[in-house]
Amino acid sequence: MTSILNMTVLFNVSLAVYFCAMVASVIGLMSRRRFFDVAANGLIVVGVSIQTIYLGMRWVEAGRAPFSNMFESLVLFGWTVSVVYLLLRIRAKLPWLAAASAALSALALAHASTFESEIRPLMPALQSNWLSFHVMTCFLGYGAFAISSLAAVGFLIASRERSTAQGETRQTLETIVAQTISFGFLFLTLGILTGAVWANSAWGTYWSWDPKETWSLITWFIYAGFLHFNFVRGWRGRRAAWISIIGFVSVLFTYYGVNFLLAGLHSYAKS
Amino acid sequence: MGLLLFAMSDPIEKSNQPAAHALGNPVTKVLGSLKFALTVILLLALACIAGTLIPQGAQVEPYLARPGGHPVLGMLSALGLTRVFYSWWFVGLLFALASSLMVCTGRRYHAIKRAKGAARIRVIGSFITHVSLLLVLAGGVVRVIWGQKGMIQFREGEIVESAESPDGPMALPFSLRLSKFELEFHKNPEESKDATGDRLQVQWAEKNWVTHFSTELNVEHPVTPPDAAAGSRPSFVVKVLRHVSDFAIDGTTGEVMSRSDEPNNPAVQISVVAGGVTNRQWVFARFPDFGSHDVLDAAAMPLKFRFQAAESAGRGRQGSIKAFKSTIEVVENGAVVSTRVIAVNSPFSWKGFSFYQTSYNPDDLAWSALQVVRDPGVPIVYAGFILMMAGLTLVFCVGPWLGEQRRTTGGIP
Repeated sequence: MTSILNMTVLFNVSLAVYFCAMVASVIGLMSRRRFFDVAANGLIVVGVSIQTIYLGMRWVEAGRAPFSNMFESLVLFGWTVSVVYLLLRIRAKLPWLAAASAALSALALAHASTFESEIRPLMPALQSNWLSFHVMTCFLGYGAFAISSLAAVGFLIASRERSTAQGETRQTLETIVAQTISFGFLFLTLGILTGAVWANSAWGTYWSWDPKETWSLITWFIYAGFLHFNFVRGWRGRRAAWISIIGFVSVLFTYYGVNFLLAGLHSYAKS
Repeated sequence: MGLLLFAMSDPIEKSNQPAAHALGNPVTKVLGSLKFALTVILLLALACIAGTLIPQGAQVEPYLARPGGHPVLGMLSALGLTRVFYSWWFVGLLFALASSLMVCTGRRYHAIKRAKGAARIRVIGSFITHVSLLLVLAGGVVRVIWGQKGMIQFREGEIVESAESPDGPMALPFSLRLSKFELEFHKNPEESKDATGDRLQVQWAEKNWVTHFSTELNVEHPVTPPDAAAGSRPSFVVKVLRHVSDFAIDGTTGEVMSRSDEPNNPAVQISVVAGGVTNRQWVFARFPDFGSHDVLDAAAMPLKFRFQAAESAGRGRQGSIKAFKSTIEVVENGAVVSTRVIAVNSPFSWKGFSFYQTSYNPDDLAWSALQVVRDPGVPIVYAGFILMMAGLTLVFCVGPWLGEQRRTTGGIP
């Protein structure tokens, strides 16, 4: 009971920290004071740390990976968005993305709070060691695609005629779009493959054209198309940004829309 | 993780792709072009979208079987859009993709020789990735040509020598006996069992008569209207033959199966015997208007059936199902040669055949259903999976990492 209370506190604190990080980053963008930028990134590190403890505690409490329903997956999504942002931040300064990723993490947690957070026993099909690996790899991909689409939106805004953004900012955002898609594609592929191996173990077929499987393949096709255009034709700029945004719409439908609109083998995920 | 960071480190550069004119043959020129490959990928993506948004296979069959059919679904069915993933044109698109992949793989093989430094690693990775996709498609072809899939339904103590499949009995080179079936609950199984209150409502509208039967399997329920003379023979005998919690029809075998143990689409198959004629039909809890009759026209049947599934009440949190397991014995030449427990996520393989626990009946806990699969394509597909990850790792991690190493040390990028 104490553990559940502690977890609720950690969940609420991490949501508040992400919100504060977003506010600090927006103030930093407007005031151009370095302090707020440092504070925003520090708060995101704190938010990710608290969420990591939360996920660890929930894992111990449930006796399984906490990735089995809508509440748990939204918490994981919020965590992966910020983790991917921090991995990028190691290499480049991205003030606009700090605000956007903190906002998306906060939004994911706020939306998670509208679902039941009770720890429930797993249905037989989910009782597998593949659960943690499959879901974690898929969500690292989703997190990277989320950051890519945020960077793409930033690029499109910065590319407007009246924009005061410098060429360097546009170039950085353009590069981030491509880099995060490479990272996300690697993990989405791993997620699809581990899911296929798991399905073969549970149902005797590695591919059954289930709506979730099919939409993950559609998403994979979109990003495969992006990478080919990028590698072979050297597509960058506005066209690449739009493909990134279309790809993330497909990710959202794969993750969220399919759960609620199309019945299939992943129907448990909507509860 | 350090190496993974390089997926985010190096701006993707135009790689050393061979020019299209390097291929003299006009056919290979078209097949190897990026435009062709991306057109095929776009068409496949659109077909996949159609296949998820338009009702498929078993979902539309009851509508099409109605007198007069269904105008919209009938048109979509005629266009092959209600069986997208098994249509000739979808297979054709996969074939076009495979052809494009083969030509592109050949081009990448030649590009390896020309590439230098880190770019060479990326081209090798790209080559391996394309080979892996071909292996996955080849594994799928092997499955379609040489694979077998069937269903075994038996009760405790029964022995079977074959599985049911749409092509007739699927012979096994050994026999299987179900020695025990177990259904485990997370907590308070008694509460869950009591809550499983599935009921079959039978309505005889002309006689203004309604009654409810349990859905216990193979129990005969005589239906005699209240105005019939005492001792007269029942007009109908209703029997529940099968129960599935998540109705679906296997696209490959055409067999009815339960896609999961969640009550997403609960249904019962019933038989109605009248005047020596047996009529079988499926009754769906969530789609009461559905109902396919194999003998009688729906209009000729005076009885109307409704399946009232307990659904979530029967699988409440306190008593949700933890596992369902079948203990089976493999019998060869009259002797038991192996005894195994099969559960979801824990299949059993014997002499090339794999057995998967797929279904159970909450009203008949001595009954079990196993899926039987013989798929010689799986090792090829798995080899493709391993190569795909190896190839993508070279493209997105090792290549950029080497590039950065060489840049910092002043070598060739």
